[in-house]
Amino acid sequence: MPDPVTLAVLQARFTAIVEEMGEALLRTAYSQILNASRDFSIALCDAEARLVAQADHLPVHVGAMPYAVKAVAEAFAGDTHPGDIFLVNDPQHGGSHLPDLTIIMPVFDDGGTLRFWSVVRAHQSDIGGATHGAYNPSATEIWQEGIRIPPIRLGQGGVVRPDLLTMLAANTRLPRDFRGDMLASVGAARLGEKRLQEAFSRHGAAEVSEAAIAILDLAEAEARRIVEAWEDGSWSSEVLLDDDGRGNQDIAIRATVTKQGSAITVDLTKSDPQVASFVNSSYANMRSAVAIGFAYLLDPDTPKNDGVFRLLEVIAREGTIVWAAEGAPVTLSTNHCAQEILEAVVRALGQSCPDRAMAAWGKRFRIAITGRDPRRDRPFVWHLFHARPGGGASPAGDGWACAGEWQAAGGIKFGSVEMAEARFPLFFEKHELRPGSGGEGKFRGGDGGELRLHVETDAPTRGNTAGEGARYGATGLAGGADGLPHHYVLKRADGSERVLLTKETGIVIGPGEVLEVKSGGGGGWGPPEQRDPEATARDRRAGVVA
Amino acid sequence: MTGYVIGVDVGGTFTDVVGIAPGGATTLAKAASTPGDQSEGVLAGIARLAETLGVTTADLLRQTDRIVHGTTVATNALLEKKGARVAMLTTEGHRDVLEMREGLKPERYNLRMPPPEPLVPRERRLPVRERLRDDGRVQTALDPASLAAAVDAAKAAGAESVAICFLHAWRDPAHEDAAAEAVRQAIPGIFVTTSAEVLPQIKEFERFSTTAVNAYVGPLVSRYLGKLGGRLTAAGFTGPLFVILSHGGVAPVEEASRLAVGTALSGPAGGVAAAVALARAGVAQDLVTFDMGGTSTDIAMVEGGAAALGRGRSVGGERIALESLDIVTLGAGGGSIGHLGAGGTLQVGPRSAGAVPGPAAYGAGGTEPTVTDANLALGYLDPARFLGGRRTLDLGAANTALAELGKKLGLTPEATAAGMLRIANARMADGIRVATVRRGVDPRGFALLSFGGAAGLHATGVAREIGITRVLVPFFAAGLSAWGMLHTDLRYEVSRSVLDAGAMKSEDALRAPFDTLEAAARARMAGWWQGEVAIQRRADMRYGEQVFEIDVPLDEVGWDQDGLATRVTEAFEARHRALFTYDLPGEEAVLVNARLAAVGRLPELSSGSRRDTGADQPGATRSIILDGTAKSVPLHDFATLPAGQVIQGPAIVESDTTTVLLLEGDTATMRNDGILDIEIKE
Repeated sequence: MPDPVTLAVLQARFTAIVEEMGEALLRTAYSQILNASRDFSIALCDAEARLVAQADHLPVHVGAMPYAVKAVAEAFAGDTHPGDIFLVNDPQHGGSHLPDLTIIMPVFDDGGTLRFWSVVRAHQSDIGGATHGAYNPSATEIWQEGIRIPPIRLGQGGVVRPDLLTMLAANTRLPRDFRGDMLASVGAARLGEKRLQEAFSRHGAAEVSEAAIAILDLAEAEARRIVEAWEDGSWSSEVLLDDDGRGNQDIAIRATVTKQGSAITVDLTKSDPQVASFVNSSYANMRSAVAIGFAYLLDPDTPKNDGVFRLLEVIAREGTIVWAAEGAPVTLSTNHCAQEILEAVVRALGQSCPDRAMAAWGKRFRIAITGRDPRRDRPFVWHLFHARPGGGASPAGDGWACAGEWQAAGGIKFGSVEMAEARFPLFFEKHELRPGSGGEGKFRGGDGGELRLHVETDAPTRGNTAGEGARYGATGLAGGADGLPHHYVLKRADGSERVLLTKETGIVIGPGEVLEVKSGGGGGWGPPEQRDPEATARDRRAGVVA
Repeated sequence: MTGYVIGVDVGGTFTDVVGIAPGGATTLAKAASTPGDQSEGVLAGIARLAETLGVTTADLLRQTDRIVHGTTVATNALLEKKGARVAMLTTEGHRDVLEMREGLKPERYNLRMPPPEPLVPRERRLPVRERLRDDGRVQTALDPASLAAAVDAAKAAGAESVAICFLHAWRDPAHEDAAAEAVRQAIPGIFVTTSAEVLPQIKEFERFSTTAVNAYVGPLVSRYLGKLGGRLTAAGFTGPLFVILSHGGVAPVEEASRLAVGTALSGPAGGVAAAVALARAGVAQDLVTFDMGGTSTDIAMVEGGAAALGRGRSVGGERIALESLDIVTLGAGGGSIGHLGAGGTLQVGPRSAGAVPGPAAYGAGGTEPTVTDANLALGYLDPARFLGGRRTLDLGAANTALAELGKKLGLTPEATAAGMLRIANARMADGIRVATVRRGVDPRGFALLSFGGAAGLHATGVAREIGITRVLVPFFAAGLSAWGMLHTDLRYEVSRSVLDAGAMKSEDALRAPFDTLEAAARARMAGWWQGEVAIQRRADMRYGEQVFEIDVPLDEVGWDQDGLATRVTEAFEARHRALFTYDLPGEEAVLVNARLAAVGRLPELSSGSRRDTGADQPGATRSIILDGTAKSVPLHDFATLPAGQVIQGPAIVESDTTTVLLLEGDTATMRNDGILDIEIKE
């Protein structure tokens, strides 16, 4: 095992590498969803596909990425070479959902030993399928959601095969963005490879590998120390989805969590059967959602790596909403039902450590608009990331306004309004907090946002929605109230209004029509009557409560 | 150079004043900082400098060519949330930009973290009906009635300062300027700042946040600098007063008041400037600065002779998008208090005894032991020689405080003192790891440049914690920041977004924004400086569909020759490859922000040199406690140590303002440039 200073240097080095990779991807990616909204994640796994380091990006990707690495390692066992560039998105092969394309590169030492995997997962604006924008609410099978890519070798010797890239790009609606994003992902993965190899030459490859093992063991020990102090027991929870978009409402995720010493078992087998729409979860995504629910209850600075997740045993049944069988659509699952799974874990396991459990955060309700940009005379796809929902309150204080959804926890940025107006045929008449949307409580849930958006095209555009939370707002905890649910309305040119549902395709938005978005607030924590009167007075002055 | 130059660095505990005479003779004086009004401490420090030089303050100031000042007024206001009461006039429908923070929350896995209070609360973010389009066209003209209402509301709210933040204002500042004028008319004398003036760049959150910070600290900074200037004038000073800014260059008072947000890192910038100057002089290429003062410790990195810079700086949680030195500040210093933590373990800091009451040994009312008390109790500090004997330390008081804390821990006073120092050193070592390792650099190949009054007692211990093998302690360690300020240049940074499709298509269109910036920078600089001005150009560029830009230095592109656009594109692609391993030849390159710095090289200062007298200074001895045992170790006088003398640790090297502790295995060599060069061996 390396000496403590070397260990500290290498631990920080791994973190510095993933952060640098993330920065590189952020700055080079092409599509709005990636570069303006940071919908991507970076990881380093060791030779056994164990998560060693991850950048502080999107929690929901992180627990899932090792499954993609395992799938690649198995598919190319005995046939993995320096400079190989692998690609996977298929939920049947360790992927979470089709838009998340994962580039995976093996990292070898000078002696030809495989030491690490450099992993870049990036969400694509479009992945083919029946509708634009990757989220297809009408899909009843995965083949309607886009192109499936089981593990493939996209390139060799550090160079992408151009014919293969062209073939993939041809299956998407925005081939230019797709190519740019893929090359940016490969660039980031290669940067990880390069930086690890520099560490090998400075410290010796074996020492770097040993440091990785020590880091995982230390993290495990730290997590066990924390969890052992919690109350032992068994708790159950049930969390409901609004609907499946096919008229079926109140789809339940049910968890029974048993905690004994430092061992935690999460049993999801009583969850409802899978449905015929994209709210189903893939296996990797379900595992990740459980892992982040647990991670949120730990200390903020406990490393989030394979060592920590060794405490968890997860039991689930294929064919349920949390683990759909092959062929089922799953695209929405990284938002929903990932958030419901993590909520079920927090509500059940939180009873073991009530001073750590927080109220629910707002839910995702996206809209993707496609049309022709008259100023540039070319097609565009724009994804709504503005008017973010509010964060949940916690025993430590109020929730954050507009901090987004629970599975991203403040990691998704809405791009600059000025930049969006410069790049898309859009006009943001209003973009502010939505007063009163956060759930009341001793600590208030964070407020959601309010947006009035004009789509300025010559011809009608089309919108798809994908989301949750128009029926149920983010739930409060410990006596705190729920946040308001979402309310999205299209104001027609003739003055009429049309309320948007969370799972719709082909909404026609005519020139001059206005989209009015009111997003949900976070859940409140603790009884509202216990709120500090000074805090209430401050809320009133700010005009965020009546 | 015909007269003195004086550098003044205001720290949390002491105000350091360095004077350099025409021949290079350098003198340091220290005075207690005066947090209520920093200028009192500055004048006291200058008076002390005059006294040391044997002249009157008035004579010294009359013979002084320039004064360079590092101030913590802005920093303290941000950290202590004691800035001005700001009102923000902002585009109707967009009043929450500051509070929404782009949807981002720091610390992804910290979900029990309450949100910060916005710098400007919602009720003082006042909507004004007006709107520009992204290309600068007027969508909604500035509505006089809503402007008047907002101005009235600002006045009624008792605003002391107003930030004007309109969407797309970087394209055309007319609406912001008109609103600023209305505010000035209605509230005479109020501090007003506009986003187009502070940071004329696209992306509203960065621009608005930087502008709000400017409004928050502006009144304090300009009031303070005005007062200081008045005092200096009254005391006989007729030359220019400069302020060192966050980017490490200096500017006159008017500029530092206008762009007060640019002084947020003024205090620690001097130390980094000193490290750069020493690197330029060939002392070491790679340095970690370790500036340990009374209340805090600042750490920065100079790699290959250049200071690390960044643009994503936050101070007190507030985003400042101006370019600044990348400095990590720890809340631990000589005044940090040792106490029993929540878990029943010994903790050091972050609470500090500050200048008042100060350590228990000051006898000024402090009853809790500080790091300084611990150093005193172990014999590392001479109670009679602290601050050159101007303040006597009370060993008994230090021991009483340590005994009191030790009782709770079941430790002797000496063991308590040794424990406090171990903990303090470990914290410093962690801070250095943050500043270096997290940037991907292994600090062990770097030299630790130790300065600030308290650093010399800790540097060799901290270096051991990290595995650093070389420690440098300049004779003027206690005033190195003030010295560094005198060795950096006048610098004026300007930038603006370009974002025109044609900018890269024609040479003229490419040159135009830089020419505009250059004219503005030269005009601004002409008001400060009559000497030669060097121009440095950079661009923030990206490929067509990317959102983020990379910083492309353009000093090497041959600005005045034909084919400029091609060379700029090549420079961008080379940088893209270097940063990201690939480029996209044939893709459209977009120039988003043009950046330009005008640099006025201040005259080189001659430096004094230490003589090799040929005979080693004999060491006196002092009894200290090291690793739990009392030892008699050699004691040397830093001031008269001849060049070339080698000292083996354990030993103490002491001057009026700094004390260096050499541990077993350390070998120190006195260099002729006044730096004690210490080799650390385990």
